[in-house]
Amino acid sequence: MKGLRWILLVAALVVLAAVPWFGSDVLVQFGINALLLAVLAQGWNIIGGYTGYASFGNSVFYGLGSYGVAIAMVQWELPFAIGMVFGVVLAVAFAFLLGLPVLRLRGHYFAIATLALAQVMIAIVSNLSIAGQNIGLVLPPLNDDRLFYELSLILLIAATATVFWLTRSRFGFGLIAIRENEEGAAVMGVNTTLYKVLAFALSGVFSALAGGIHAYWITFLDPASAFDISLNVKMIIMAVFGGPGTVLGPVLGAFVLSTVSELLSSEITSVAGLFFGLVVVVAVIFMPRGVADLMRRFRATGWRYFVKNLKAHRI
Amino acid sequence: MSAVLGITNVTRRFAGLIAVNDVSFTLNQGEILGVIGPNGAGKTTLVSLISGTLAPTAGDIAFEGRPITKLPAYQRARLGIGRTFQIMRPFPGLSVLDNVAVGALFGHGGGESDLDKARELARAQLDFVGLAKFADQRADELGGPSRKRLELAKALAMQPKVLLCDEVMAGLNLVEIDEVIEVLKRVRERGISILVIEHVIKAIKSLSDRLLVLHHGEKIADGDPDTVLSDARVVEAYLGRRRA
Ligand SMILES: Nc1ncnc2c1ncn2[C@@H]1O[C@H](COP(=O)(O)OP(=O)(O)OP(=O)(O)O)[C@@H](O)[C@H]1O
Ligand SMILES: [Mg+2]
Repeated sequence: MKGLRWILLVAALVVLAAVPWFGSDVLVQFGINALLLAVLAQGWNIIGGYTGYASFGNSVFYGLGSYGVAIAMVQWELPFAIGMVFGVVLAVAFAFLLGLPVLRLRGHYFAIATLALAQVMIAIVSNLSIAGQNIGLVLPPLNDDRLFYELSLILLIAATATVFWLTRSRFGFGLIAIRENEEGAAVMGVNTTLYKVLAFALSGVFSALAGGIHAYWITFLDPASAFDISLNVKMIIMAVFGGPGTVLGPVLGAFVLSTVSELLSSEITSVAGLFFGLVVVVAVIFMPRGVADLMRRFRATGWRYFVKNLKAHRI
Repeated sequence: MSAVLGITNVTRRFAGLIAVNDVSFTLNQGEILGVIGPNGAGKTTLVSLISGTLAPTAGDIAFEGRPITKLPAYQRARLGIGRTFQIMRPFPGLSVLDNVAVGALFGHGGGESDLDKARELARAQLDFVGLAKFADQRADELGGPSRKRLELAKALAMQPKVLLCDEVMAGLNLVEIDEVIEVLKRVRERGISILVIEHVIKAIKSLSDRLLVLHHGEKIADGDPDTVLSDARVVEAYLGRRRA
């Protein structure tokens, strides 16, 4: 059983890695988007799924990563890789500076506080001349979708490996303990403040790297699109749909929902948005722990799985 | 006997009421100290002040002679202070085994960094408190009495030097109470000093070397259990409670 799972995983990776060699341009571009969204969902999974802090600040990390690459390449004429490092440094600095005060808040208060961060960043960046103010920056174009695709895939593998490590490590257990009961974790010796900030930073690193790749690929960015809060909503929906606090759930969620949304928007544009919302609402009601939990338990409980979830909502 | 815990003139106020009022006492090495008192006497607050989940309004707390009043809860845990919660705080979504493993991964001295080893240590604690057969269940699927034992196992997995038990016998039947008493006696044999809060007078009498009574946040008696339980003020505090 375990061996089979590994074989399937490796096979899936080989197929994914080969897409740019057999797929159409459109498929590869769809793939880059889907992979980057999966990275974002997986990054959010670290702070939201494992640590239990529903962050709306991850689009800020994404924006910082985008601007890190753009500023380094456009203003300082440095290579892309250094821009990525710069973006990561910005994200980590942000996580420590703002994470410390914001992570003292719990539940809804934390969500609302982080929600405000993106707006603040748009205001700040719109007034920075080094960031091109509200006009934005245009990056040197690189016409190599195959490279962007493989970079995104490597990043997704790194993010997923990191999350897998969480499920096997003391650090990850500390985060889970914080999610399950923060006071209970503290009296057992978990340095909750430090762990939360580290989780926020780690989550931010992956968001920033995704933002950096995206910026170089798209070659253009402005404050409103770099710090777009709807992107944060998207990553949460994908992670929650797939299964927050699981290793593969957010990736699955990102792939499934990217595909559904792509199919719908090419067929019936007007109802696409509505249908997408409906799918998510139904999913949250009938399988609140995501696809990953559904697949794990459906075999044992059958259709009762949905009934049980429905009852849990007291509808 | 040397003092493991030293509580000196500790006071804790909440808006409009004094939950713990100028309390001083020591917990000695290898001792079982019973703490009793009517509902609202300040017992749980006292445990929270020692474990660091609440800060005192005034007074000092020392562990092995060293002041810990300003240390956060996690640092006190690493020094070797373990507690259970009266209102239980399991990690509901984790298995019973992993609940306890968290104690082994962190806890006294920073804990065991290897997950497999931590789980091994956790399994031993589950055996010790009689929960081994529930190891793979989710913690929120446990019944009340088992949850009490889980609280105990989690704290013990931290390998503490001091164990603070907040009503680990409440809601248990007589047989279960005897089992927990046996467990606590064996914990003491490992050299762990214990502060145990309990309402069941018979249980606390058979367990404690010394008894401390709180009433309206104040310490009204501290000494040999038989002497304390025949003390006029203690009798009055309890009779008063029963009449109310
Ligand atoms: N967080 C809090 N905020 C305000 N008041 C509190 C708080 N915690 C406890 N109190 C009050 O402090 C007093 C002491 O409470 P505490 O829980 O310490 O009593 P206790 O001796 O443990 O009681 P019990 O036997 O019912 O467990 C009570 O009057 C309680 O209402
Ligand atoms: Mg109490």
